[in-house]
This record gives sequence, structure tokens and C-alpha cells, in this order.
Amino acid sequence: MAAAPLTIELIGELKREVADDLTHRARRLGCRYADLRLEVVESQFAWAENGSCKQSGRDDALALGIRVIAGDSIAAPGYYGQSLGAADRARLGRVIRDGLARAHARALANARGKSASLAAFPDLTAALWDTRLAPVPAGRDTVPAVYDVDPRSVPLADIVALANEVGSALRAMTSVTYSSVGALTQISRELFVSTEGAVIDQTFALTQGTCYVVAQEGPVSQELFDCMGHQRGWEVLTRGVEDPPGSPLLSFPDFRTFATDLAKDAVALTRATPAPTTDDGVAVVLDPHFTALLAHEIIGHPTELDRALKMETGYAGRSWLLRSLDDTQIGKQVASPLLTAFSDPSLPGFGHYRYDHEGVPGRRVVHIDRGVFRGFMNSRQTAAIQGGEPNGHCKATDPSLVPLIRMSNTVFAPGDRDPRDIIQEVDHGYYLVGHKTPSIAESRENFRISAMKVYEIWRGELGQLFRDGGIMADSRAFLMQVDAVGSDFRLIPIPNCGKGQPMQTKRVGNGGPTLRSRAILTGGAA
Amino acid sequence: MIPTRTLGEAAAEALQILRGQEDLLEGEAFVAANTSLVARVHFTSHIPCNGVEEPKSLESIGIGIQAAFRGADGPRIGFGSEGNDLTPEGIHRALLKARQSAVVDPEFVSLPRATGERRRLRRYHDPALLRLSDDALVEAGWKVITRGLDVFARSPELTRLAGSREAIPRLGLILSGDVTILQERIAIASSSMPDVQTDESTLILSGLTAMVEAADAKGSGWSTGTRLDDFTGDAGAEAADNAIRAMGGVGVPGGRYAVVFGRQPVADLLNNLVLPCLSLGSFYSETSAFQGRLGKRVASPLLTLYDHGALRGATASKGITCEGLPTGKTRLIQRGKLVGLLANFYEQQRILKDPQAAAKLGKDPRTAPKALVPRNGFRFGEGGGRRFEGPPGISPTNILVESSQPVSQDELLARVGDGLYVGRIWYTYPINGLRAGDFTCTVVGDSFLIQDGRLGSPIRANAIRINDNIQRVLRAILGITADRRETTVWAADEVIHAPEIAVTDVRVDAIAEPQGPAS
Repeated sequence: MAAAPLTIELIGELKREVADDLTHRARRLGCRYADLRLEVVESQFAWAENGSCKQSGRDDALALGIRVIAGDSIAAPGYYGQSLGAADRARLGRVIRDGLARAHARALANARGKSASLAAFPDLTAALWDTRLAPVPAGRDTVPAVYDVDPRSVPLADIVALANEVGSALRAMTSVTYSSVGALTQISRELFVSTEGAVIDQTFALTQGTCYVVAQEGPVSQELFDCMGHQRGWEVLTRGVEDPPGSPLLSFPDFRTFATDLAKDAVALTRATPAPTTDDGVAVVLDPHFTALLAHEIIGHPTELDRALKMETGYAGRSWLLRSLDDTQIGKQVASPLLTAFSDPSLPGFGHYRYDHEGVPGRRVVHIDRGVFRGFMNSRQTAAIQGGEPNGHCKATDPSLVPLIRMSNTVFAPGDRDPRDIIQEVDHGYYLVGHKTPSIAESRENFRISAMKVYEIWRGELGQLFRDGGIMADSRAFLMQVDAVGSDFRLIPIPNCGKGQPMQTKRVGNGGPTLRSRAILTGGAA
Repeated sequence: MIPTRTLGEAAAEALQILRGQEDLLEGEAFVAANTSLVARVHFTSHIPCNGVEEPKSLESIGIGIQAAFRGADGPRIGFGSEGNDLTPEGIHRALLKARQSAVVDPEFVSLPRATGERRRLRRYHDPALLRLSDDALVEAGWKVITRGLDVFARSPELTRLAGSREAIPRLGLILSGDVTILQERIAIASSSMPDVQTDESTLILSGLTAMVEAADAKGSGWSTGTRLDDFTGDAGAEAADNAIRAMGGVGVPGGRYAVVFGRQPVADLLNNLVLPCLSLGSFYSETSAFQGRLGKRVASPLLTLYDHGALRGATASKGITCEGLPTGKTRLIQRGKLVGLLANFYEQQRILKDPQAAAKLGKDPRTAPKALVPRNGFRFGEGGGRRFEGPPGISPTNILVESSQPVSQDELLARVGDGLYVGRIWYTYPINGLRAGDFTCTVVGDSFLIQDGRLGSPIRANAIRINDNIQRVLRAILGITADRRETTVWAADEVIHAPEIAVTDVRVDAIAEPQGPAS
């Protein structure tokens, strides 16, 4: 008998059965702890190059991931992940049974390896610990999606038409030589269950538009990329976003306007002069779009506690905010007293959710409070290591992958200064508009980030436009020298934050207001 | 793991179903089964840890169908896939998705056709890696840790620094990385290549970073291979050795230096800056740093670079591409001259029809057929594996770097005289876009001063940032070693057979002082 298509309703139908199955089987195996994540995604997309659709699709996906903590004298973790399909609906019980057995076997083997290492290197391995998780109440909740236009209701032909329309508008612009436009709308429903009794059922709508444009004028070529999106329905691209209405934190025009504005910037930049490189720091004013990436790179990443606890040393590096458990920057001045920064999954946008992928309620975590460093995003395991309550920042891009500590919405808090005054007070400096490409040092202690546009500021007025410019600074020095924080807070969707092995490219939210500090201005290489 | 024969049967059945579609012009069925097994390693001597942090796997099986349907406005091309179901029902669901998603693409010529080249690589996988047990996966992770801990435990330098063997953990020892095993099986059949082709590959990789945090010292180790026998856990020992060797690091003032880039930096620069510019797709979109320079000099005459997907024993080799075409050798840069590009069938066909092709490439593509052979159409996923969920892109395989005048490392260092040996870089990005060629990265470990033609003091980790331009760097090559080693980069699918390369006048900026104890 042919399998029915996958729909998000499957999660609602199965959640009780899956929860009971996991608990029952894990108990029989003797697991200390087990959890399971299951997700269905129904999505539609279209992608156009130079105004001609190259690919479109309507698809559904199902995936599963299992974690087990087990061991006799000492406990250790084991994991299992699998991509599934519609045919697995009928045999899900067997899939769970087999996956749980594999994860359990790995946990036991891991525990044996841990014991052997403790015996072989007693002087070195005292830090090998009995794996545990900080306690949390076992949550039971159902969280619906929010949207006006259900992503499943949009005819694929409309999505194709929009991608073609936007691409054609770009193609018609003088000096635009290439464009790649993507439109995506989806609804996903994820289930988290654990042997502690948690049953968390969350549904999310998500709609996103991406635009990559290349403009050329004579020998000068400029390429810009940007993304708009929200956890809402198709209306995001057709009508734009204002959330909340009236005084939006997250604000975009419709997708066509968004893309053509980006293309206009690319064209203007082909006629701009290359940015200079300064020998010393200069006054720099950063617009909220640029500030968002700065928040991502020098606040968000170094405040992920797994990274701070050295767990990413082989990949994305460590954090200058923690050297050891008794040598941290907590309580120390790391930034200007004007600066506050935090992560908050209750804010709208890509970083919004109610529960993370350990079933922990997400809550605001203050990283910097008026310049003083306060704390990290964590998971249940890292909270148990450092102490403190779990704050719900452990997520995976797919249930078949192991959750990591990820940003929700990591931002600089707004101040009270009018951004126009912030510029007008600068005798000579530069105004950076829109983020482009980052490169950050291993422990996040230094950064170089390029901008879409750089304007010179002379006596408080915006002057010449430059291309291929950015800033470079040591993070602490930059944060300490912030001397103005604007009231114009904005959230920006970041579609491509990479972390983990294998790589998990995740959507997160970042944001902030206009900021002013000092940094070296960087142009192209000599 | 599902047998290759089963995948082949599914591909044949899918082709049969496709042929039964009245409106079908042509179709292709791609069936894949992939497992990625990873033992992620995290050991710290001073912070609670698990050692093997994540013994895990990711499995995916499915079918992807690409089809061209007859349409009123011309052929309509669609792609659809279905996971974990290779039955006729699953095939029909994938076909339905392909039909529903079909669009008119004026640049579409045909699905891949035989190029006339012959498949050279068969039976190159390791059955032992295909049968790897969960216990063996976990043991592999503990093996690299054990090798690293052994080096730390026996180190007189660490004992001296700590004051006693018992105090060594307080130095903040770290071992971080992973052992990754990929098991890949595919089958493909199409209207124009109806004989089912299958391919099977295995590989085992290990990458470790070791640190002695109290000394701000970092070292790297890695191993690659296609056979379980290749794996010894040496990466852990190498990383620990290199971390100890890096103790006592010094700062470096900003300026321009002659730099020897070690194997990891060579791989990193190629992966992030050069190889994307050698993709035919980049030339089409006019974003390559080598735009318009096919047939012209783009690098020092010392540099030769090629991709070889059919190299027996090489870690990234495959028998066929994910388009069903033979892999083989693609010359990219020959003694400094750009002579070829990485291509898949779609990009090759559309550049041949592109009225602006001559301007984009620098010559009429019809006069350079050997430069644009589709040997690199792959469907690699971020976690490894040959994914069924989408059509092929362009990916490198084994990238080999050679010199017309190779030298030994000693000769290379002597040629430099005074400068820097950069052993590992991080966050290497084209900061102003790929075409501009400007790049930046930081130097994070395994690095030394070069003094009087010899390696001298280690350079402190994370003390310097490189800001330069890749076009300038490629032209300023001073020398290239004969010795190469397979080297991988985080999240990349290709394997670089990397030598060490010396470059003059590299711009370096000193960055953040190390964080001392809490003040």
C-alpha cells in the first residue's frame, strides 16, 4: 500500500506513542537518560538565475535523532541520526528501536573507553567525568506556528513567478550582470521527548528570500548578498515584514523592493572609489545591519559555553571570555558602560523559539550589562559543568544531527542616542552601512569585517562613498571604546551560521542599533 | 548498509518507470545510500569532559529523479526526491515531485551524455570500513585520545613547565577534533546512459588540535586514508607533539614578510579562495578572480595545479561522478597558466551556448574543449556523502599541487632566509568578494620564525592576521616543496595534496595580546 505524503500532522498523531515507546525501550536497555527528536518539514522553494527559474520544488522531509547517556561505573553519551521518508511512517517503531539500540551501544562503548583511559592515565584524566545534565522540569507543551498565509497553501507556480519577477527586475537594471534569487516558504513541526517525561511539540512557519547580485561597470565588479526572512508565512515576501507593527524590531519591504534596493547599491558601488586603509584607529559609525554581524561574531560566538569550555578548539576555536572554570571575565569590565548585549529567543525573527532541542525553555541571557560581562548561552551538560541553570540555547539544524549551543537572537541593546546625532558629532571618520564578510580570530579576540558601503564623514556630514571597505580591531578594545549607542534597534536574519562537525548551517537572529567606536579602516590589499 | 546491487536495481526500475511516461523527453535516476560515522573528540585536563564527546552517525538513503518533460513552451525540467523508499511507490513519489516542480530553463541542453572518456577506477573501497561496528567507531575516537595523552604524559617539557608529572593537568591540556568515516554507495541510470552504473567509496579521516593552554601553544595533527588499516590514531600524537613544540611562542610585529605556507594553510587558501575561482560556474556568473584569463598567466610559473578524481589510493577519489560520467585528471593551472576549469555537464553545455562566453572565459569555449570537460559534477553534502536530495553542483576531488622546480623544505627555508613559517590559518575569507581576491585570515598555530634559513622560535598562537590578495600571492611564489601530504579543511569535501609554498612580501598585522589571568 502506497505511503501517504508526509505532513506535519504526523507529529501530533504520533507524539504520545513515540514518547511512551522511547521511555519503555530506554528503561529496558538500562539507559540513564535518553531523548529523541523527530521533525517533519513541508517546504516549497524556487531559485532563479538572471530572471529565469532554474529549480523549484515542493517537498517533505522526516528525520530523527536519539541521544543516550549510559554506563555502569561511569556514564558516557552516544548518538544516532537518520533521514527518513514517508514510508517510515508505518515502521517508525522499529526505526526508533534500532536507533535507540545503536545509540545505547555507542554510549556503553564510550563509557568503557572512558574507564580504560582513567585507568591508563590516572594523572592526566581526572577531568573525565560521569556525564550528567543539569536538571530541568520535564516540560509538556504544544506551540503552534504563526502565519497569515500558510506556506502549504501557496501554489508552487506563484513562488516560481515571484522568483522570476524579482530576477527579471534585477536583470533589467543597467550594469547588473548576474543575479541569483531564492524564495523559500515552509512549515516544520518538531517533537522532543525524553525519559524524564518531556513532550514538547513545536511548529514553525518560515519564509525567506535571498538575493545575490553582481554589478559591473568597466573593470570594476561588485557582488552583494543579503537575506530577508521571518518565522511567518508567505506574506513575508509579498508584503514585507513589520514586527511588531508600528515600532518594528524586524522590518523589511516586499521581496522585490528588497532585492532591487540591494542591486542599486551594487551598481552605485561600481562607481565608487576603493576604501583607504588607515594606519591607526579612526572614528567609525556602524549602522544596525553591520552591528548585527558584529554582535554575531564578537558577542554571540564567544558566549557559547561549549566553545568557551574548549569543545570547539579543533574547529571554530575558543573564547577569550573563559580561560578555565576559575579564570573567566565574569564580573569584569569588557566593554563601555554604554553597552549591553544579550541573547533572547523571545524576540521575533529567525532566532525565535520557546523551547530548545533539549526541551529547555529558552530565556534571555544577558552577556554584557553596562559593560560588565555576565554570562554564557548554555546547554544542560555545559550548565552542569559550569554551574547555573540551563537557559535553553541548545539546538540542531536537523534532528539527525547532534544539538550544539547556538545563538537565538544575539544583539546589542539599544541606547538613547539619535543616530543622526551620532554621525553629526564626528569631525572625521567613516560610516559603515551593511555587513558583508567576517573573519574573526580563534578566540574571537580580533576581527575584520567588510561592509557593503563605506561613507566618509567630514564635519558631521556624509561624504564620499567607498567600496571594498571594512574595519579591523581587537574585540575588547573596540567594545571598550564604544562612545555612542543609538536608539534605532533592528533585528537582522542571518541565514548561514556554521558550526559543528559535521557542519550545521543554521539560521539565527542578530541585531543592534547604530554604534560608534574606533577601529582601523581596511580597504583592499595593496 | 544497503547493498549496491539493491541501489542498482532501484535505478533500473526507476528508468523503466520514467520511460513509461508519455510526456518524458529524457530522465535520470540517482540512488544513494550514505552513512557518516563520527567520533567527535573533546578532552580537557582541567575542565570536566567526556573524551569521546559524540560517537554518532548520520544515515540517508533515497532516490533523486531529474526529468525533462514535453511542454507547450518548450522542455520543462524538474527534480524530485524521496527518502528511505526505493520501492516503485517511492520512485513514483519522486517522479511526481519532479513533474510538479518542472520549469522552463532556456539554458538547459540535455541531461548528461557520455563524454567518450573511460572509467578508470573500480573496486577501490575497503569492505572493512563498510562493516565498521559501533564499538570500533568509539575505539577509534579513544585511540587518537590515547595517542595524544601518551605524548603529554611522557613529555619532559610539560613536566618541567608544570613542576611535576602530577601537576601537568593544570597546564590546561586540550585534545579536540574527530575521526570521521564515510561510507558511500550510488547507482545512476538515465535515458542517454541506460546501463546502470554503480560506485562505492569509503574513507577515514582524522583531524586533531592539541593545546597546552598555559603556554598558549597549539599544534595540529591529521590523517587521511581509504582503508581501515590506514588508521593508527597518529593524528593525536602528532597534534600533541606539535603543541609541545609550539611552547614558548613569540609575537611578531606587523609588516611584510617572506612566508612559507605549510600544508594546512595551502589547503585552506586553495579551498576558500582559489578553487571557487576555478569553477566554471564562477566564470559564468563573472565572479572569478581569474575572470577572462583562460589560457593566460594567473600565477607564478612555478605553480601547477590539477584535480584528479580517479587517482587510485587517493582519499577523495571516486569511480564516476554523480552525473554518471568518468572521473579523471583535469589540469587547472599549468606552470602558472590557467588551462582548465572544474565543470559539470550543465555548466559545460550552457557556456558553449552563452553569447558572452568568450568574454567571460577569455577565449571561445569551442576552441578549448579540453579545458571544460565535466569530471566534477557531484552531489556532496555538508556532512559528507553523495546526497540524493538535489541535482549536482561542481566540486573538486583530489587537488594536486606541483612545481616545475620542486625543492626540499631545507632549500625552501634557505631561499626565504628570514621570514615566517605559517603552519595553520583560520577563518580565511575573500573579504571583498571572490573576484577582488582580497583575503584575510589569522595564524592560529604550528607556526615559527624563519631565521637564517632555518626554523626558529615558535610564533605565539593567534598573534597575527594576514591581509593580502590571492592574485598577488599566486604570482609571488618563491618556491614549492616536492613533498606533498593529503590535507583536509574543516567542512570541505576535497583533499588537497599539499606541499609547502614560500611567498614573498606577505602582509601581516599583529593582533590581540593573549588574555592573561583574570585581573
